[in-house]
Amino acid sequence: MKNTMWRTGLVVALVSLLAFAVVGCSTSAEEPAQTESQEITVMLPEWGVPTDAMLQEFQDESGVKANVEVVAWDDIRNKISVAAAGGQAAADVVEVDWSWVGEFNNADWLEPLTVTSEDTADIPSISSFTVDGKVLGIPYANDFRVGYYNTDIYGKAGLTEPITFAEAKDQSAAIKQKGLLQYPSTMPLTAGEGTTTGLLWLTFLRDGKVFNDDNTLSKDNVLTSLRYMDSLVKDGLINPANITQKDIDTYRQLSSGEAAFMVGPTYFVGLVENPDESKVVGQIKTIVPPGGDSKAKQTMSLTEGVGILKASENKEAAQKFVDWYTSAATQKQLYTDVDILPTRTSVLTELVNSGQIKNADALIETAKLIKSPFPNGVPAYYSEMSPAIYNAINQMASGSLTPEQAFDEMNAKVTELAKSASQ
Amino acid sequence: MPPDAYRESHVKKVERTGYLLLAPAALVMSALVLYPIVFTFVYSLQDYRLIYPDKRAFVGLENYARVLADPMFWNAFANTLLVTVIVLLLGLTSSLVVASILSVPTRFNGLLTAVAIIPWALPPVVNGLLWKFVFYPGYGLLNKLLIGAGVVEGPIQWFGGRLGTLLVIALVVAWRLAPFGAIVLLASMQSIPRDVYEAATTDGASRLQAFWDITRPLLAPSIAVVASYLVVNSLFTFDEVIALVGNRALTSTLALYNYNQAFTFLNLGTGGATAYLVMLGTGIAGFAYVRSMVGKAG
Repeated sequence: MKNTMWRTGLVVALVSLLAFAVVGCSTSAEEPAQTESQEITVMLPEWGVPTDAMLQEFQDESGVKANVEVVAWDDIRNKISVAAAGGQAAADVVEVDWSWVGEFNNADWLEPLTVTSEDTADIPSISSFTVDGKVLGIPYANDFRVGYYNTDIYGKAGLTEPITFAEAKDQSAAIKQKGLLQYPSTMPLTAGEGTTTGLLWLTFLRDGKVFNDDNTLSKDNVLTSLRYMDSLVKDGLINPANITQKDIDTYRQLSSGEAAFMVGPTYFVGLVENPDESKVVGQIKTIVPPGGDSKAKQTMSLTEGVGILKASENKEAAQKFVDWYTSAATQKQLYTDVDILPTRTSVLTELVNSGQIKNADALIETAKLIKSPFPNGVPAYYSEMSPAIYNAINQMASGSLTPEQAFDEMNAKVTELAKSASQ
Repeated sequence: MPPDAYRESHVKKVERTGYLLLAPAALVMSALVLYPIVFTFVYSLQDYRLIYPDKRAFVGLENYARVLADPMFWNAFANTLLVTVIVLLLGLTSSLVVASILSVPTRFNGLLTAVAIIPWALPPVVNGLLWKFVFYPGYGLLNKLLIGAGVVEGPIQWFGGRLGTLLVIALVVAWRLAPFGAIVLLASMQSIPRDVYEAATTDGASRLQAFWDITRPLLAPSIAVVASYLVVNSLFTFDEVIALVGNRALTSTLALYNYNQAFTFLNLGTGGATAYLVMLGTGIAGFAYVRSMVGKAG
C-alpha cells in the first residue's frame, strides 16, 4: 500500500515537472519576442478607449497587442508618479494631460516622441506638449473653449449673440428678470481643476494675458475676472450649487436647459445635439466666445495627449501605438465610434464639411484662435498652483473671501512657486 | 534523556516552531509596514520633490517647520479635531442607543442586528457617495423631501459653508462607524448577568437607575474600546470628504492635507513630515489614553 502511494507520488511529481518544462520551453523558445516586446500596456481614461474592433485591427496591422487599462483621469497621474518614484513604468503608453507636461518634463518621465513636420502642422495643439523642442505627447482629444447660448431662451428675451462678457452678464440678468430661468449662466466654482481653468480662460479670452513674463499673476486682469465671477454669484445669475458640484455637472446645466449661456468644452458641441444627453436639442448655438471689448481674439486649449514613459521596456511597440492612435484614419474612427473630437485640423475640417460634426458653425473659426495662456509654457509646479487658485475662488464663491482677498491668497502662492522654481 | 533536559529541548523545539510560524507574517509586516515607516522618515528629512529630482538633498527638520508654519495644515488640523469630536459624540450616543434597542429580546433581533451592521460593511468611499445623493446641492434627496413637505421653499446648500460641511461629513462618518460600536456594546450588555438587574428591580431601582448604576459602569471598558475606535477612524477621515465635497481646502482634513502634499504636489519630503507629525500626535494621544485606562484599572 505504502509502496503504491510512493510510486503514485513519484509519477505525479514527474508529470508535473514535465508539464512545467514543456510550458517553460514553449514560452522561452517558441515566441519570446512576441510576448515580451510585442505586447504593451496603455493607460487611458474611460473616454479615450478605442473599441475592441479597433484594437484588434491595430494588432493585425502592427503585430502589437495593446492591453488597455482604463483608469480614472484623476488617478492616472498618481499611478504614473508613484511608479516613476520606484523607477517603474505604470504602463508603456499613458494619458498625458496638457497640465502635466511641465512637471513630467522636469521629472524626466516621458520619452521624446518622433513626429513628422506634417503631423506637427496638422495638430496645432502639439505645441502644448513640446518643451525645448522635445515632443513629449501627441494630442488625441481636442478640447478648447467655445461659447454656447440657447437660441430659444435668448429669442424669448429678445436678445442676440453676446459679444463681450459684460454683455453676456447683462443678458443673463435680463433673462432672470423676465423669469425665463433662475440661473441663466454657468461656470465651475467647485474646489477642482475646472475652476482653475475657468479663471484662466475667462481672463485669457477677455484680456489675452493671465500671467506676467515672470510667471506671476497679472493682477488687474485676474482681479477683474474674480470680480466678474463674484458678481455672477452675488447677483444670483449662477447656481450656488456650482460651489460643490463637479465641473462637468455645471456644464450640463446648459444641456439640461437650466442655463442659457456658457463658455465651455468643445465636447458639448455634439452632446447638446444628442437626445439621450440633452433636453435642448436644436436650441443651442455654438459661437466664438465673447471677449473684452469684442469677440475673443484667443482661446485656450485643454487638450489631452498620449505619451511614452521613459521607464517603458517596449518603447518601439509603444511608438507604433501612438502613431496609430493619433493617425488621421484612427482619429476619424475615434470620433465616429467613441465621440473623441479630433486634434488634427484636416480631420476636423473633413468631419465638419461632411456634416458628421453638427452644430459646428464656430468650431473651426475658434480653433484658429488657440494660444497658450502660459508665456513660458505650463510650469512644472502647475499641480501645486492649481489648488491654490481653485480653493481661493471656491472660498470667494462661498462668501468667505472677497475677490481682493481671493486674489491675494492665490497670488501669494503663485508668486512663491514662481520664485522658488526660478532659483 | 533526563526529564528536565527533555522538557528544555521540547520547549526550545516549540519556540523554534513558533518563530518559524511567525516568520512569514513578520516578513510581510517588515516589507509592508516597517520599510515604509523607516523610508517615510528618511524622506521627511529630505527636499524630495518628484518634479525636481536634481534638487534632492538632506534638509534636516526643514520640512517639519514648513508644515507647521502652513496655515492650511492648522486649518486641516482644526477640521479634523471638530470632525473627531462630533463623530465621538454622535457615534457613542447612537451606538449606545442601537445596542440598547437590540438588547431587548424580540424575534426580529437577528434581522435588526444584520440591518444595523450594513453601514459598517460599506467601503468609506461608497458611504460618501451614497450620502452625496442625499445631500446633493440643488435637488438631492433631502432637499426634495424638505421642499415636498413644504419645510423650505428652495434647495438648501448643505455644503455651502465650512461648519455645515464638516457637520455633514461627521454625520456620514459616524453613520458608518456606529454599527461596530453598537455590536461591541451589545455583546457587553448581553454578558451582564440578568440576576443583577433582577436584584436591582427587587430593591426598587427604576430602568434608568439600573442603566446608570449597573449597565454604564460595566460597559465602561467596552465604551473605551468603541471611543478609541471612533477617534482613530475619524482622525483619518479621507474617502468621505473626497466623495462628498472633493479636494476642498476649506474642509480639508489631516489625511487629505497629507495626501495633497505627497500625491498632488508630489512632495515626498513634506508628505513624509506630515505623516510623522500626525503619527506623533495620535501616538501621544493614544499613549495618554492607554495610560489613563491603565491608571483607572489599577
